[in-house]
Amino acid sequence: MTAKALILAGYGLNCEEETLHAFERAGLNGKIMHINDLIDDAHVLDDAQILAVPGGFSYGDDTGSGNAFAQKMKLALWEPLKRFVERDTLTIGICNGCQIITNLGLVPAPEGQYGKRVVAVTHNLTARYQCRWVDLKVNSASPWLAGVSTLHIPVAHGEGRFMMDRAVLESLRENGQIAAQFIRPDGTPAAGLFPYNPSGAMDDIAAITDESGKVLAIMPHPERGMYSWQRDDYMEAKDKARREGRRLPEESEGMALFHNAARYFEVGKRKSA
Amino acid sequence: MLKKGMIHRIEILSHSEDGRGKSLEKALAARGLSAKVRVVDVFTSENPAAGMPEFAAALGNPVIQKTGEMPQDFDWALEIGFLPGVTDNVGHTASELLSLLGATNDNQCYSSRLYLIKGDLKQDDVRVLAAELSNPLIQRALIKNSRTFKKEGGMEAVIPKVTLSNQGSAADSVDLNVSDSELEAIGQAGIKSADGARRGPLGMSLHYMKAVQAYFKNEGRAPTDIELETLAQTWSEHCKHTIFASPIDDIKDGLYKGYIKRATQEIRAKRGKDDICVSVFSDNAGAIIFDEDYLITDKVETHNSPSALDPFGGAITGIVGVNRDCIGFGMGAKPIINRYGFCLADPRTAPEYYRDKNLSVQILSPETILKGVVQGVEAGGNCSGIPTPQGFVYFDDRFVGKPLVFVGTIGLIPREINGKPGHIKKAHPGDKIVMAGGRVGRDGIHGATFSSVALDEGSPATAVQIGDPITQKKMSDAIIKELRDKGWYSAITDNGAGGLSSSVGEMAEQSGGFHVELEKVPLKYPGMAPWEIWISESQERMTLAVPPENTEKLIAFLARRGVEASVVGTYTDTGRAHITWHGETLMDLSMDFLHDGNPETPLVTSFARGGEAEPDIAEPADHVDTLLRMMGRVNIASKEFISTQYDHNVQGTAVLGPLQGPGRVYADASITRPVLTSSKGVVLSQGLFPRYSDIDTRAMAAAGLDQAVRNAVAAGVDMKQLALLDNFCWCSSDEPERLGQLKRAVEVIYEMAVKYETPFISGKDSMFNDFKGFDAKGQPVKISAPPTVLISSIGVIPDIEHSISLAPKAVGDLVYLLGRTADELGATEYYDMMGHTGNNVPEVDSHLNLRLYTLYGRAVRDHLIASAVAPSHGGLGAALAKMAIAGKMGLDIDLSSIDLPPARALYAESAGRIIVTVAPKNKEKFEKTLKGFEYVSCVGHVAYGDKLNIKNILSVEIEKLDEAYKAPLRGY
Repeated sequence: MTAKALILAGYGLNCEEETLHAFERAGLNGKIMHINDLIDDAHVLDDAQILAVPGGFSYGDDTGSGNAFAQKMKLALWEPLKRFVERDTLTIGICNGCQIITNLGLVPAPEGQYGKRVVAVTHNLTARYQCRWVDLKVNSASPWLAGVSTLHIPVAHGEGRFMMDRAVLESLRENGQIAAQFIRPDGTPAAGLFPYNPSGAMDDIAAITDESGKVLAIMPHPERGMYSWQRDDYMEAKDKARREGRRLPEESEGMALFHNAARYFEVGKRKSA
Repeated sequence: MLKKGMIHRIEILSHSEDGRGKSLEKALAARGLSAKVRVVDVFTSENPAAGMPEFAAALGNPVIQKTGEMPQDFDWALEIGFLPGVTDNVGHTASELLSLLGATNDNQCYSSRLYLIKGDLKQDDVRVLAAELSNPLIQRALIKNSRTFKKEGGMEAVIPKVTLSNQGSAADSVDLNVSDSELEAIGQAGIKSADGARRGPLGMSLHYMKAVQAYFKNEGRAPTDIELETLAQTWSEHCKHTIFASPIDDIKDGLYKGYIKRATQEIRAKRGKDDICVSVFSDNAGAIIFDEDYLITDKVETHNSPSALDPFGGAITGIVGVNRDCIGFGMGAKPIINRYGFCLADPRTAPEYYRDKNLSVQILSPETILKGVVQGVEAGGNCSGIPTPQGFVYFDDRFVGKPLVFVGTIGLIPREINGKPGHIKKAHPGDKIVMAGGRVGRDGIHGATFSSVALDEGSPATAVQIGDPITQKKMSDAIIKELRDKGWYSAITDNGAGGLSSSVGEMAEQSGGFHVELEKVPLKYPGMAPWEIWISESQERMTLAVPPENTEKLIAFLARRGVEASVVGTYTDTGRAHITWHGETLMDLSMDFLHDGNPETPLVTSFARGGEAEPDIAEPADHVDTLLRMMGRVNIASKEFISTQYDHNVQGTAVLGPLQGPGRVYADASITRPVLTSSKGVVLSQGLFPRYSDIDTRAMAAAGLDQAVRNAVAAGVDMKQLALLDNFCWCSSDEPERLGQLKRAVEVIYEMAVKYETPFISGKDSMFNDFKGFDAKGQPVKISAPPTVLISSIGVIPDIEHSISLAPKAVGDLVYLLGRTADELGATEYYDMMGHTGNNVPEVDSHLNLRLYTLYGRAVRDHLIASAVAPSHGGLGAALAKMAIAGKMGLDIDLSSIDLPPARALYAESAGRIIVTVAPKNKEKFEKTLKGFEYVSCVGHVAYGDKLNIKNILSVEIEKLDEAYKAPLRGY
């Protein structure tokens, strides 16, 4: 059986199509669903294995990015949502989706308490929207990130700055819930320095998970870095490959997350078998 | 939470490290003021439900914000909110949250922002800050010191609700049996209300007013106000393009039919089955073939006048407006790329001009306008999920009072939808008129007529509006991603200039008439007069023609997507434009008169070449210094600060972005792969040389067209897959001299388009870009924007593998200069830097260029080119420096093959040139491919080292070039 991935849409979310494409490329059975349709038909969640809240500008970031959309989900969809994350499922929130699921308290959910809001993803320190490629160091047991140690993918956000109490930060560190951190191209920590850490996020945090690792909230966009031709160094890489008489690999690093999701539900296995 | 009377005021205090406060602290520090800023988000509402603690909780983030808790330690409180009727997107979201919490009362919420400032600021400093953070046309700013703040218990709870008292009759009848001078006054200043005040310009000449007078004489009655307003909208320069349509000198067909449209017709006829055009000049955008399954559409608009008054509002309204041109193309195209272009005064200057004689209303500073328009396109594009990779900024001080703001949107539409061609639509008699999206308010009343006249002190503030991208995004997604393919509507168009009067009027041309019941139009607030509802330009609305059996399900579907839609009338075949208000007829005009009744206005022109004698300029003593200064000129310097703020890779389709090479050079072309499953790419570029008009508009237009084509060709497009768009931004178009300049520009783009076989698919004009005001001494001034043609190019490459960036790729590669460099420095960046205009303006030899571009296309096909750049402003000098910066690689160059003194060789802006780098192993093949072209010279190679060396002229570290290029606009 093929695992089903639901990708949310509506109210200003805007990355649902490319996110669907990434899941489908990984062999998953993806479906875009408008949030109002999901609210009316919440049992769909009970049949799904993956929930993706994609990037976008839900409610125009008004009242804080991801806040209003999270409020809507909390009011109209909380119980089915809680049931979903407590099953053996995978959830990913990318960019605006990251902000939404963080506001919903699906991450970091200390001691499995989904719904508690303890981390904020807020205005960049520059108070400016930033669209640029970044380098991430990945150190996580999350199924989404199996076998991934670094990622070169883009950020595109005005509010990507992870903030929290020191105590929360400490517990995230201890529990291995800091899934990805911004680094410099040479691999050393960004140490808060712009543009390597484009938002000014605490501890260079780019992504966090819940304690199980099955819920991933990530500010950079893996689906915008799934192909080599999407990369900022594509022109250089393409030219180099041609000179060396080889073909450039079709996929790039961001695709790993989607393959991992497929593998988790043994879809990849079935395909390659 | 403070509760004042029946008004709820909720204050949400952000943490002390809030980025919004921090960036303000930084801006204050730059002025020598040390301060700490706390940001408080404020919401007010008269809705009793706003008192619920759940509401306050829903508005804030407990991790970083505190509700109802204010710091005591501050010196100044500055609050900025909106004036009544101004779009308040944050307030709108708060209202939605309130209704999610179960509120039924429809009293809205309003947002404002409070800054609590601690530091050594005087009241005047806070006033200056308030002026920077707000625009008095749309916002209120209130300042209190901490003592007053505490004494008065904080700031006031303001409800900026619109209250209108429309006591008059549904429509006033307007007496046209008046003297010519009164007729002229009605046309220029507007209809007189009962209190004697004029309602705002109709923008109709006496010539037009007399035609209207004659029509109603024949009808045997006086017109109503709504009829006059409708005619003014429909006949406006903005909608009818009368200057391009009118006979001019001996060209009976006028400039549009006689040249621009004709160029496309001739090219299409010549191409035959290889024609790439599918829909040109007939819809909201133009469309060419993308592949077997899709068309791509393109449209570029201007939004100049509103952007002068409120740069943010003008630009965001512009970009979301042109998005709707895409959504309203054919049965609806999906917006896939945005373009932008700004022509502004240098932001580092502070010229003092006023709108009024009393010197009380100063024009906005160039810096304010730059920041505002950049931010407006950012908010509009980013919120809509449309990548914005492609654009330019051009500076000239004559754009000071009337900036040019270009916005464009590329769309993707299936060639076949529900078994029918996707680009064809038709409103049928009996179809219901459905308005979908935002509600109607007083926004933008007289926008269409206002943009057709020069800006002066009488310019109405109601012309200013702010787009609401999320309302539009909901509508766009619902229509393009779902509704369109259900086949429930027969036609769609957008509501832009002129609002319903234009959209319904245009669609009804197909059916043969309409009947609108104006009382059915949903309003933002009660009390609007019918004529206001009819011509309001409130944004985010589409008009659809829907067969009656589908209206109910269509409206229900849109409601499920959070989009309001209403039936407001019926398309008919009565030949009449009919409007009623609760059954009473307010308008009953013949469709023929409405659309074709405007009398012809024959135009005459004259022309005199501008410029001066060629100056005798000595060669610079220090060529390095000269090149560094050239790189720092704002027209050459990097605009990276814009590119990083614009989401250019949403939709996952960006191939070649706006910043190219490891050295991140702000490039002139971009490449997008709009269909992830197809390897085809869309290449975009543009060209624009306003200053050349100081010598000859023919040279200005020719250079722009050649540049737009050449940038795209250099990036890998085949000439046969390339189309163009024209945007004319002229000035004083009622003067024969300006019309003479116009005619020359139009003539040459006709000639070149036909030669290159690059068809025009869409175009727009804005003919009165003049500022009329007063200088600091109260003396009247008129500042006209230089006559400007923007040519935008759009092309398709068969495989993105063939795309080419400007950054050199490998040391040892050969550098070739293709094309002829002549002594052409008139009106160039170099002459301008030296304080001259000169006379030898660059001329275009399109015959020669076409031969190069065709051969170059073969070299692209065979993968012979490693990198390429089409020299533009700043000539070879700037182009070579950008290559070195982009690649972070040295260049050893020898320009001795150019028979000109060094500075002329470096900075001539001769058209038709491309610099390429070629791998040594491809040398022979490349030279063989270009063999038929006489201007090919190997001028050096990509070198080890960190320098740009130009033999016998200069040697400079790339690092220095990089800094000179990036520093000037970095801080914006």
